[in-house]
Amino acid sequence: MENRPLEYDYTVAKMFMLTTIVLGIVGMLVGVILAFELAFPSINTILGSGLAEYTNFSRLRPLHTDAVIFGFTLSGIFSTWYYVGQRVLKVSMAESGLLMFLGKLHFWLYLVGVAAVVVSLLAGVTTSKEYAEFEWPIDIAIVVVWVIFGMSIFGLIGIRREKSLYISVWYYIATFLGIAMLYLFNNMEIPTILGTSAAGESGIGAWYHSVSMYAGTNDALVEWWYGHNAVAFGFTVPIVAMIYYFLPKESGQAIYSYKLSLLSFWGLMFLYLWAGGHHLLYSTVPDWMQTMGSIFSIILILPSWGSAINMLLTMKGEWQQVAASPLIKFMVLGSTFYMFSTLEGPIQAIKSVNAIAHFTDWIVGHVHDGVLGWVGFMIMAALFHMAPRVFKREIYSKSLMASQFWIQTVGVVLYFTSMWIAGITQGMMWRAHDEFGNLAYSFIDTVTVLHPYYAIRGVGGLLYLTGFLMFAYNMYKTMSARPVEESELQSASPMGA
Amino acid sequence: MNKLTLWGIVFVLAMLLFTYISVSGSEGGLHGDIINQLGVAGAVALVIITVYVVVGYVRQMQEKTADGQLADEQWDGIGEYLNEVPTGWAVMFLGTMIWGMWYWVAGYPVNSYSQIGEYNEDLAVQNAKYEAQYGSITGDRLVEMGESVFLAECKVCHGLTADGIDGKAANLNQRIAAKSVKYTILHGSNNELLGMEMPMPDRNGLFNANSGALITDAEIDAVATYVANGLSGTGAGANIFAGTCASCHGADGAGMDMVAPSLKAFSPKLVTNVLNHGKKAAIGTMPSFATKLNSKQKEAVGAYITSLSK
Amino acid sequence: MFHWLEKNPFFFAVGVFVTIAFAGLVEILPNFAEQSRPVIGTKPYSTLELAGRHVYIKNSCNACHSQLVRPFKSETDRYGHYSLSGEYAYDRPFLWGSKRTGPDLMRVGNYRTTDWHENHMKSPASVVPNSIMPGYAWLFTNVADIDTAYAEQLTVAQFFSVPYNQPVPMKDGSTAVVKMGSSVADANALALAEAKVIVADMRDQDVKDAVASGKIPEIVALIAYLNSLK
Ligand code: HEC
Ligand code: HEC
Ligand code: HEC
Ligand code: HEM
Ligand code: HEM
Ligand SMILES: [Ca+2]
Ligand SMILES: [Ca+2]
Ligand SMILES: [Cu+2]
Repeated sequence: MENRPLEYDYTVAKMFMLTTIVLGIVGMLVGVILAFELAFPSINTILGSGLAEYTNFSRLRPLHTDAVIFGFTLSGIFSTWYYVGQRVLKVSMAESGLLMFLGKLHFWLYLVGVAAVVVSLLAGVTTSKEYAEFEWPIDIAIVVVWVIFGMSIFGLIGIRREKSLYISVWYYIATFLGIAMLYLFNNMEIPTILGTSAAGESGIGAWYHSVSMYAGTNDALVEWWYGHNAVAFGFTVPIVAMIYYFLPKESGQAIYSYKLSLLSFWGLMFLYLWAGGHHLLYSTVPDWMQTMGSIFSIILILPSWGSAINMLLTMKGEWQQVAASPLIKFMVLGSTFYMFSTLEGPIQAIKSVNAIAHFTDWIVGHVHDGVLGWVGFMIMAALFHMAPRVFKREIYSKSLMASQFWIQTVGVVLYFTSMWIAGITQGMMWRAHDEFGNLAYSFIDTVTVLHPYYAIRGVGGLLYLTGFLMFAYNMYKTMSARPVEESELQSASPMGA
Repeated sequence: MNKLTLWGIVFVLAMLLFTYISVSGSEGGLHGDIINQLGVAGAVALVIITVYVVVGYVRQMQEKTADGQLADEQWDGIGEYLNEVPTGWAVMFLGTMIWGMWYWVAGYPVNSYSQIGEYNEDLAVQNAKYEAQYGSITGDRLVEMGESVFLAECKVCHGLTADGIDGKAANLNQRIAAKSVKYTILHGSNNELLGMEMPMPDRNGLFNANSGALITDAEIDAVATYVANGLSGTGAGANIFAGTCASCHGADGAGMDMVAPSLKAFSPKLVTNVLNHGKKAAIGTMPSFATKLNSKQKEAVGAYITSLSK
Repeated sequence: MFHWLEKNPFFFAVGVFVTIAFAGLVEILPNFAEQSRPVIGTKPYSTLELAGRHVYIKNSCNACHSQLVRPFKSETDRYGHYSLSGEYAYDRPFLWGSKRTGPDLMRVGNYRTTDWHENHMKSPASVVPNSIMPGYAWLFTNVADIDTAYAEQLTVAQFFSVPYNQPVPMKDGSTAVVKMGSSVADANALALAEAKVIVADMRDQDVKDAVASGKIPEIVALIAYLNSLK
């Protein structure tokens, strides 16, 4: 009985795989458009000046960030949860009608939320807060989706056979709790239909409009407490959950050190929340909070690197696997980029460095080191690993996967080198005084020098998108590729030529 | 050498090159500015540390083999070693935590640092340096300095060549355009061009001594053309000017202290007055730069603009 | 202890939650009240300015523009006095931004003017050659939503005691009163009066005609807002 593998039910995982891919394409396509709009502004009116309201940089930018975060990344998180959760808890969703129902409800409500977000952002309905643009009706929908996700997690845990929780599950639980807390507090807002005029009129103006509970500096504090930790619990914690499962599983290696996993996890949980102040350096937030943000950011390097090192050491002695499998390459390079961006972040959090880096493209570079090299690579690797198991077919083409890996790696490198130069150049030009003690450059001078770097970034982004389309194609073809015979695949995923 | 190490070195060198490109892209490079220096040092450290550490671990993938005692449990076939944490990592973790506490409690205790205080000190130093070095420059150097102010502050409205970008702001290569003169006569002017309240009357207060009547439409056109042409020539415009305007602006149009400004040429003083009070007239509104520029900068940009129309 | 936690999901979750919630309390709660006290000279937004602020948010200008002057000489030279916390007391939401693709706008009202904004917003490259800012031509035809701005005024007055129709202290020792309409019609009339002042300095004939006929294009509200940033 113990030896016969369980029949896991991947219906919901499959549904979210689909949205991961579709929303990934949408989000990255918009990213590429944005990148080229900054290099060649005429693209702002690409569909004619009549539609410019919907195609210009500023209307599209939130669509990009929200499509890749709440579309691509979140779908990836959900999809892997509905896959990994069952397996490490040793329980099938098919065993509970309620959990199946919740999982499907989760998916369909999520889809409704996505549609509402796309429409509202294109219409310009936004509260302006980064990564929390949505007005209150959508907030409510998101909270409902999140609660259902929580019920799925704890429901599955409730009926588990595996008594102790695997590392990945720790991280999924933290993702759920973290986002829940952050999202609620950052979205405290009062609908303006509640205002009543002296003449007794009420329900005035747009019904969906609201005003933040917090003002000015306080609003900024709450927003970046949220924003920083949205990165933590959206781009770090759940992605670490993925690598802790998929890398050892795909390579057949045991995790290098339980103790390192443990210290990294609790260290990360404790330290992350304190670091949000690094988004507000030199602002009107009290000095001590800023100092605290800087200090904790530096200490944060260690728990972040702890997970990455643990993963690299798990591959100790297994270079032949790295060399042979593009799937493992994605994950090893992913941990490398994770290390890079979790050292880059703390360095940018040092006050004097931030004085140059803040507001520039160096930050955008940092962002994409993390999201392209780490989040994107990991999610694609996870889906690649899942595909043969959920579709019971071998991955359509290994060589396509290998080319995709190299194209995207070049893409990321072009992205971050160009933004590196652009950011440092701009940061220093803003500060420059000439021999007379006057500002050396007018603002536009600091914009025009960036043109070549914006163009290079656009090309880098285009390469990454190309790779993602190859990924999508590979996944699509996998659905009708050669069936796999083994009833339960062990480590390395089967791949066609 | 190992191929990977080689790649690591190539990568580090490339990033150093890019950093060099960025630094040299900005006038004067690091400027002896501590913030610039720390920023670049951070960038350099970032690349070197990451590459060094990652190459180190990848070498372990290539050369070592996995060992250690396995834990009893397995999750979906995934095992765990009971290895100790890497020493370097543990030491660094402990070290940074101790450093953090020290920094917090002893190094920079709460509230002992003020960014505004730092700003004030920095400002005093920079202003003193500026005063000492450039406070007393005159002549061509002053014009040069004025040009630098103009290019940083004014060109977004007046254009790179100060031509006013198709009439969107004043063309500063000439003292004044006919359209502006006409507008001033029709509506009067009250822009504190003399640095004080001294309005110019509108047409209902402009008496032409030659004709013994208020100035007429035709006369306005003629005098506007005359003034815009730099008050040269002797036609009808010149006569009207002599009869109507000269009493305040002087026979040659060069203006009189405390009475009316020069219509012949810009002067640093006139420009300074415009900068201090802004100006709203035929073309549009010129914002005030009263507090945005200091008096030396105003004098300099005045000298530059005066030099343009000469 | 950790092994025990890993077998008891409930306590595990509680442990995680306490660990992460703790920091938030320490980081956010102190100074909360003090941060929101307005400095002298800071006024609530008028109806038209607030409508303009909504236009700014609707078009995500904050994607490219910050509103936060940091205390560096290079920034105070370029933009004016560094920002003070109390200047943001009426900003809901705050609009500091996190990326300066374009310049800071915290004090743009001091050194740019209505007619310049009109030219610039229609076609940025026509006044600033090589500008990469998109043109916002549709703002000249879309009509501003004054009702929602008014609803927001009412809401902040009722929930956060924002002092509309009350004297607020100014820097020169005088006081100023920002008016809020007593009814929707009254609020629209107030906004229209403000709009007329702005439009007098504008060139676009269609915009002038629209305001003359009682409609306020978004650009007029936006400029009112930009001019208020000082
Ligand atoms: C009563 C005195 C007086 C008379 C007469 C007078 N002006 Fe003026 N004018 C002034 C003063 C004072 C100013 C400065 C007004 C200000 O500060 O805005 C001025 C300003 C001007 C300006 C604006 C300069 C600028 O840079 O914008 C023009 C043009 C001008 N005068 C032309 C004329 C012409 C042409 C006539 C005759 C038709 C004339 N003025 C007659 C007093 C006079
Ligand atoms: C926001 C736009 C803007 C900026 C910035 C600006 N100007 Fe102007 N300026 C104008 C406009 C518009 C006029 C024309 C006013 C009129 O005569 O109608 C003008 C007029 C002038 C005049 C003409 C005064 C006269 O009497 O003929 C001078 C001198 C001048 N500006 C100097 C400067 C200098 C120096 C700077 C920079 C330090 C500067 N301006 C920045 C818009 C601007
Ligand atoms: C793609 C980025 C981008 C977007 C979106 C954008 N801007 Fe800009 N903005 C710029 C750049 C770059 C400049 C500097 C060049 C120039 O003046 O055109 C600028 C300049 C400005 C200036 C002049 C400030 C100064 O000090 O010269 C104002 C005002 C302005 N923008 C307002 C807006 C408003 C309002 C919106 C939204 C409706 C907006 N911008 C959207 C990039 C952008
Ligand atoms: C130790 C870990 C990290 C630290 C200390 C850190 C620190 C920072 C700092 C200082 C900024 C710039 C704030 C500013 O000046 O505007 C920043 C921005 C950002 N970082 Fe990180 N970072 C870390 C890891 C990551 C990772 C792994 C990712 C993504 C995978 C990431 C995503 C982002 C994003 C999206 C922003 C932009 C926020 C904005 O919109 O302004 N960070 N981070
Ligand atoms: C095809 C690849 C991509 C391209 C070309 C691209 C391009 C861009 C551009 C041009 C911006 C705006 C930068 C600016 O304002 O100057 C941006 C912002 C951002 N993108 Fe991407 N992007 C891509 C993929 C992704 C992915 C996959 C993610 C997340 C998973 C992501 C997350 C973000 C975030 C968080 C920001 C906001 C950064 C900030 O505010 O600092 N992007 N991207
Ligand atoms: Ca919200
Ligand atoms: Ca940002
Ligand atoms: Cu952060």
